[in-house]
Amino acid sequence: MFKPVVFNKRVCNGCNICVEICPMDIFEPHAKKGHPPSVKYPEECCYDGVCFERCPLRDKGAIKVIPPLPMRVSILRGDV
Amino acid sequence: MDSEIEVISLETDVLIIGGGLAGCMAAIKASEYGVSVTIAEKANTLASGCAGSGIDHMWAYIPPVHEKMGYTLEDLIESHTKGIANGFINGNLIHFIARETYNRMLDLEGFGLKFRYEDSKIPGNFRIVHQFHSEPSAFNFDGRDVKVNLTKEAKRRGVNIINRVTVVELLSSSEGHVSGALGVGTRESKLYVFKAKAVILSTGRVNRLSRSVTGVWGNHRIPVNETGDGRAMAFRAGIPLINMEFLSPSNFSIGNFEINLGSPRNTTQPAGSIVDANGEIIVPRASFYNWEELEKEKVKTPGVSVKQEPLSPRTRQNYFQLHNQGKGPFYLDLTGGTEEEIRYIEWSISQEGKGFFFLDYLKNQEDFDFRRDKLEWLPNSREMAGTAASGVVVNNDLETGMKGLFAAGDEVGGVPWSASPGAFTMGWHAGEMAAKEAMNQKAYLDIPEDKISALREFYQGFFKNKEGLHWREIEMAVQNIVDHYAGDVRTEKMLLRGIERLKNIKQNVSFAAENPHELGRCLEVMSVIDNADMVLRASLERKESRLRPFGFFRADFPQENDDDYFAFLSMRLNKNQIEFAKIPL
Repeated sequence: MFKPVVFNKRVCNGCNICVEICPMDIFEPHAKKGHPPSVKYPEECCYDGVCFERCPLRDKGAIKVIPPLPMRVSILRGDV
Repeated sequence: MDSEIEVISLETDVLIIGGGLAGCMAAIKASEYGVSVTIAEKANTLASGCAGSGIDHMWAYIPPVHEKMGYTLEDLIESHTKGIANGFINGNLIHFIARETYNRMLDLEGFGLKFRYEDSKIPGNFRIVHQFHSEPSAFNFDGRDVKVNLTKEAKRRGVNIINRVTVVELLSSSEGHVSGALGVGTRESKLYVFKAKAVILSTGRVNRLSRSVTGVWGNHRIPVNETGDGRAMAFRAGIPLINMEFLSPSNFSIGNFEINLGSPRNTTQPAGSIVDANGEIIVPRASFYNWEELEKEKVKTPGVSVKQEPLSPRTRQNYFQLHNQGKGPFYLDLTGGTEEEIRYIEWSISQEGKGFFFLDYLKNQEDFDFRRDKLEWLPNSREMAGTAASGVVVNNDLETGMKGLFAAGDEVGGVPWSASPGAFTMGWHAGEMAAKEAMNQKAYLDIPEDKISALREFYQGFFKNKEGLHWREIEMAVQNIVDHYAGDVRTEKMLLRGIERLKNIKQNVSFAAENPHELGRCLEVMSVIDNADMVLRASLERKESRLRPFGFFRADFPQENDDDYFAFLSMRLNKNQIEFAKIPL
């Protein structure tokens, strides 16, 4: 149902740090070296963002964590 | 392929079950005594436990700072004991934690964490905010890498870390001394047999007893892979536990995205306030501690040490009550903050828990800015109260009811809201005591082969069980029972019904797993079931209501009854019967 983590395959170099550290162990490494892992258990994501926090290529956009709709914050927008 | 479980046997002087803050500190300290140390961790110590993705603050008594302010260690302990725990606390342990936290802070500094800042005018260059206590006791620091640094330090000292193994059973000799533990691999089909001379239990709290309010699985404040494994195995081994009835009602927090920014006097201070739909202030903002005008701060409220009331249970708003009065919706409002304050808060949020990702999400996926926008305050999910409030009974040296078995951190019962200071100090001390215990033991104790093969058969059965259910299906049913029968209002009849229904699940439902990963989730749900049982049964035994500090309410005993129940309720399994006892405070 959810798509919690999306990799940019042009940026991610398949280092698999996210695979190693994910507390919920939701990833599976790609069979080929250098490719992003797949999200094998998307329903078990806990949205703690550890994969994002520890990604060496985070600032280049290798990984994006997307909270599902029911989790998105409710905002009262102020004047710009 | 997955159905053949391989047995791996290991010997270690000290075995640590759970490598969070307490477990890592224990390993580091134990290694100083020249004993072999192994951490068995269900995730990966680089990012596991309550502080897996960082902590931004801890409370501490820091002599060079607090002595100048005129606060004594006793003031802080009294503030924690009376102001936060309402006397519901183990006096010896909270003394020990308060006394030792500063020393552990210095150790953490030695492991590469940054605690001092050039822009600070406070002695020692610390950053202080008001939280928890009447005294300004909360120290902000760069703690995002705490688990990375602790893992590196443990490895540097030769600690053997085995990740992705869930320990399921404690082993003991016929004389009742701990002899090791059995664990299950959750990436490969492996059964780990740990022979150990001393063992430390530090698996943390229990989560997933209740549904997440948003309906999104995993959306809880505390890591959802903390499933009370330690409490469950301790209970099954006949070790006494306390305070298991204190599953708290839910409160309000940052809506939908459950995150540990608990309150305006928490990580969003000093500028955070809560306003209602009419813009009326419900919780006012605080301010930076004014060290430069310390004398003025002292004069503000002569004779009273409270300058800024922390958001302890004493002052916490009952948002549900306000909501019922038609005062909602509520918003977290930082818009009155100065640029300096907002930057400070953003730094602080980015160090703790999900905060680093949360800030990025707010900015880049929601176009949210604290300077301009407000975040709605919504109900959050229920959880076990107050960090180390419930858990295993320990003596002053952190030894449990089983000889040679120690506990530390949130595993320990009786020190509510000791939080990370509790984990750091208890972990360290448990490491020392376990190492000394191991040095006194001559040889490893034998582990009966039949026990190992029986457990191997049992788990192997999960892979072949065509009648079995997926772990998630069972978990949902258990959570429904906890939420309904051990909810905000409990009665004898409701609790008995809940116990009966849970028993039915235990007796008639079996698990199925397709691989070691799913087996791991099944083990977690089995722990959740044992913990749910303890919550229901302990709730039945406490025949009173005690709103402070844990929000415990029995509709059939609506009054607080200090004469009979101002005590920890301990429970232990003895020959398949649960025995309750009161431990006076």
